Amino acid sequence: MSGKSKTSIREQLEQLEALTAWFESEDFTLEEAMDKFREAEKLASEIETELNNFRHAITVLKKDFSKDS
Amino acid sequence: MENDSLTVSVSELVALTNQTLEYAYPSIQVVGEVSSFKVNQSKFVFFDLKDGESSVGCFMTVFSLRMPIEDGMKVIVRAAPKLTKWGKYSLTIQQIRPVGAGNLKKSFELLKAKLSQEGLFTLERKRLLPRMPQRIGVISSVQAAGYADFMKIIEERWGGMHIEVAHVQVQGEPAADQMMRALDYFNQVANAPEVIVIIRGGGSSDDLAAFNDEQLVRRVVASRVPVLTGIGHEVDQSLVDMAADVAASTPSNAAERLVPDKAAMIREVTQTIRHLASRTESAIDQLEHERKSQLLNMLDSLEKETTKAIEYLAHQKAVLRARDPHDVLQRGYAILRGKPVIGQSLELETATQIVTTEVKDVREK
Repeated sequence: MSGKSKTSIREQLEQLEALTAWFESEDFTLEEAMDKFREAEKLASEIETELNNFRHAITVLKKDFSKDS
Repeated sequence: MENDSLTVSVSELVALTNQTLEYAYPSIQVVGEVSSFKVNQSKFVFFDLKDGESSVGCFMTVFSLRMPIEDGMKVIVRAAPKLTKWGKYSLTIQQIRPVGAGNLKKSFELLKAKLSQEGLFTLERKRLLPRMPQRIGVISSVQAAGYADFMKIIEERWGGMHIEVAHVQVQGEPAADQMMRALDYFNQVANAPEVIVIIRGGGSSDDLAAFNDEQLVRRVVASRVPVLTGIGHEVDQSLVDMAADVAASTPSNAAERLVPDKAAMIREVTQTIRHLASRTESAIDQLEHERKSQLLNMLDSLEKETTKAIEYLAHQKAVLRARDPHDVLQRGYAILRGKPVIGQSLELETATQIVTTEVKDVREK
């Protein structure tokens, strides 16, 4: 579960970066801007929620490193 | 000759002596100063270990020599004493390390120079760490303060990672070998981590000696997984630090360099949204401004056209007024209606009257 959240955050951040780039590019039009802004707002909200909620999965290995296996 | 004591051959004496030594002192630690140090055939090491009064010969393999040693260095050895078949008493060395900060530093400098010359510490070798790793391997003692510091910061800053921890000793004789086994494990496991992190808190130069072990340093260099270290305090730099892909100054700093800070990321994302809103508002303002300008230009044109039309109208009025027949009549002229034929009636209109007359005579002018 942690891995899935991590991947989706990375993808979401990339999507947000792509949207930001569009706003700065020559392709920017006011007609499309409203929809894209709503999309960015939604992405930002999802990212914030995931970042606040996701946790690590920690395992201390049982293997004994004091001896050669 | 009375014979109530044991009679043995020379070889048996040597064997008995070695049995006794093995039983009494299977392994012993001895402190002394190195002298007459030499390496034969690049495989075997011989030196004498001495103090103010006595000296004993020592033998070991180059493989067991984990840190450079030279004459004059005070060392501590773990060894097994034995008698050679030529009657020479010697120590077979299992482990050796310098004793005291000065000797440790000297040994450190010798090894650093040797490995540096081999190119183990060059910048070109260093690999970048992934920005948001998903799997990491941690090599540390789970009871150590450094480990606790590292994990605390990792938990605060980020989440979603799979973290496997290899619990090992991080000081003392067994430490280097245990850390090497852990490195081997993480390099060979099926789902290898993206980063291996070696963590150890602050300590004396003796405490940190394991991190200057030649074999451990070489194992770090050979790791196919990038290695991040967070060893000791900020002023400490071990050879393992120098061999690592990234060397953080402390365990806490290692956590900071490994993962982003989610609080900072949330602020950045919020700032991005504000920026996009601002960009959109600017575009709307600009459009409004352009439309207004266009409208004003249109009104301006309209005003000019209207003015022109009014002026034209006034001119036409003046022209028409000038041609108004009533004005002509006022000046004393009259309008004649009808054909000028003798005996016919004609109608005369003046400014004030309409007169009917009869034609008496018609002449050409």
